Amino acid sequence: MKAFFSKIADWFRGLVDKYRNLGYMAKKKLKFIIGRVFLYFVLIELAYLFILPFIYIFTTSMMSFQDYMDPTVKWIPTSIHWKNYSDAFKALAYFGMFKGDTGEKVFMSSFLNTCVTSFGSAILQSISCAIIGYALGRFKFKGRNIVFITVILALLIPPQTMIIATYGIWSKAGFINTFVPILLPCIFGLGIRGGLFALIYMYFFQRIPDAMDDAARIDGAGPFRVFLQIMLPLVRSAFAIVFIFSFVWHWNDNYEAPMYMYKDKVLTLQPKLQHIRQYFADLVGDSGAAEGGIGKAMTEPTLFAGCLLVLLPVLIVFIVGQKKLAAGIERIGVIE
Amino acid sequence: MAKKPVKQKKLLAHKNTIKFGSFERRRGLEGWAFSLPWIVGFLLLMVLPLFLSVRTSFYQTKLTDPFGFDGDSQFVGFDNYVEVVKDPAYGEVVFNSFLESLYKVPVVVAFALFVAVLLKQDFPGRTIFRVIFFIPVILAGVIMSYLFSDEVGSISVFSTLTSSQTFGFVYKIFGRNIIGQIGTIMWASSVEILIFLAALQSVPAILYEVVELDGATAWESFWHVTLPYISPFVILNCVYALVDTFVDARNPVMSLLSNLNQAGNKYGVAAALSWMYMLATLLVILIFILLTRRWLR
Repeated sequence: MKAFFSKIADWFRGLVDKYRNLGYMAKKKLKFIIGRVFLYFVLIELAYLFILPFIYIFTTSMMSFQDYMDPTVKWIPTSIHWKNYSDAFKALAYFGMFKGDTGEKVFMSSFLNTCVTSFGSAILQSISCAIIGYALGRFKFKGRNIVFITVILALLIPPQTMIIATYGIWSKAGFINTFVPILLPCIFGLGIRGGLFALIYMYFFQRIPDAMDDAARIDGAGPFRVFLQIMLPLVRSAFAIVFIFSFVWHWNDNYEAPMYMYKDKVLTLQPKLQHIRQYFADLVGDSGAAEGGIGKAMTEPTLFAGCLLVLLPVLIVFIVGQKKLAAGIERIGVIE
Repeated sequence: MAKKPVKQKKLLAHKNTIKFGSFERRRGLEGWAFSLPWIVGFLLLMVLPLFLSVRTSFYQTKLTDPFGFDGDSQFVGFDNYVEVVKDPAYGEVVFNSFLESLYKVPVVVAFALFVAVLLKQDFPGRTIFRVIFFIPVILAGVIMSYLFSDEVGSISVFSTLTSSQTFGFVYKIFGRNIIGQIGTIMWASSVEILIFLAALQSVPAILYEVVELDGATAWESFWHVTLPYISPFVILNCVYALVDTFVDARNPVMSLLSNLNQAGNKYGVAAALSWMYMLATLLVILIFILLTRRWLR
């Protein structure tokens, strides 16, 4: 009997021990829950701010003019106005036969032009910046600091400073209105924010343990083989980040591309989009439409339909590469 | 018989050493080999244009010779620079753009740090949020300028705050301009968020464990562990944000430059202006780095 009581007492004592700090645990749990609620509240609020432009473009592009002017129609249009898209398609000379500079109908596709500049640049940059990033991240050679400073300078010096001289060089070489002025710098790792990409690669290469290439070298691999077969596969996530950023920035470039490629045949999407109002103004023969007033409001939904058409390919690339990009962001900076 | 191959091997090894030098030297050569394309590109596409644009800035350019290459233009010394300095319109634009970056940079960096700290935590759905904060990168360019002209960014919590009665004083103090812009400034912080995320993830987890054992709260561990550890990245981000606002297409100086470029016969003045602007920018960055070098390890 005594043994039985002591057993119960032991059990009870164990229970008390287990829940001795019940208050502390409850407090901790409550803190955790409040923290989570706060976190989600803030993040959703901010995410809303970041998604808002998308929703705005999407809904406005579907509206008819009446919907756009109607204050009661805020987000959801009464009906989908498909004509906006076909109008914008024509105004952007997206793909097909359009009236050129000379007035005759010729094949034009600002879409294909932009594809060449942005896909080409993205592929070239993600390779060439990997090479310079590899040199900076894995080797300690005399003059490394000088090379590093040139990378920083390339990042800091705005292209606007030398655009005049660069334009002069390209026009002397006869490369104006071709893709060369956009693609050639990318072969060398320059181009739009090439310095930043080189730094991203450098950062990723530095994180790989030295034992990796030592092992490959002992097995008899040459320097280029080590780079191609050992190192490049290890920085796949950096590759995804650089490729997507380079693609998007070249796609959205409205400075260098229209500067070097201004003929209708090679014009990219961004300058076309910029002059879309002028296009409609010319169409109706009203010069005031471009500046403002009722004419401006008339073209507003079509304008955003054009925005959506320009946005769509980038969106597709972003959604396809999203998983890789997220994995890259997840891995970036983590010490293995 | 058995000695012969051994000797040969030794000889070969010796030859190798002479040909490529020591291991370190060989590695150094490889480093140079891998940075060769970059150096060639940098010399051809950065140094040469920079040199030429300095040259252009000393010439009175003409329409027949817009870049000052052909000898048609006249060498005028510092006249272009004097014109830029004398004209109050240029000075005002440059001053305004510096002033603008003065309040934009702290907001962008602080916001990026805040978001990065939130996103660094482990919670369900963080991948989706991490991707959402990169959307503004997609929307750059002309679309962004259209959005700005329609002031979509102000249909946010900030405009609601400023327009409501309770927070009316905020509006009165700062003016609608600044508060309304906060939402749009945030869109410029995607790359900064990425850099901060990388920095935060490189802080060793063991440090947090140590301070937690010592009884530090999350707030204290942020100020005493996280911030000192990532301080170089804060400075890096400040520099990046500075450059970003300086070269932004919506920046008044940039639009002034492209207007000058389109004028055709004003390339000399444009080159002078862009050089002075760039030097001023680099000077600001240099001063900033010198002031903050305490926190740069």
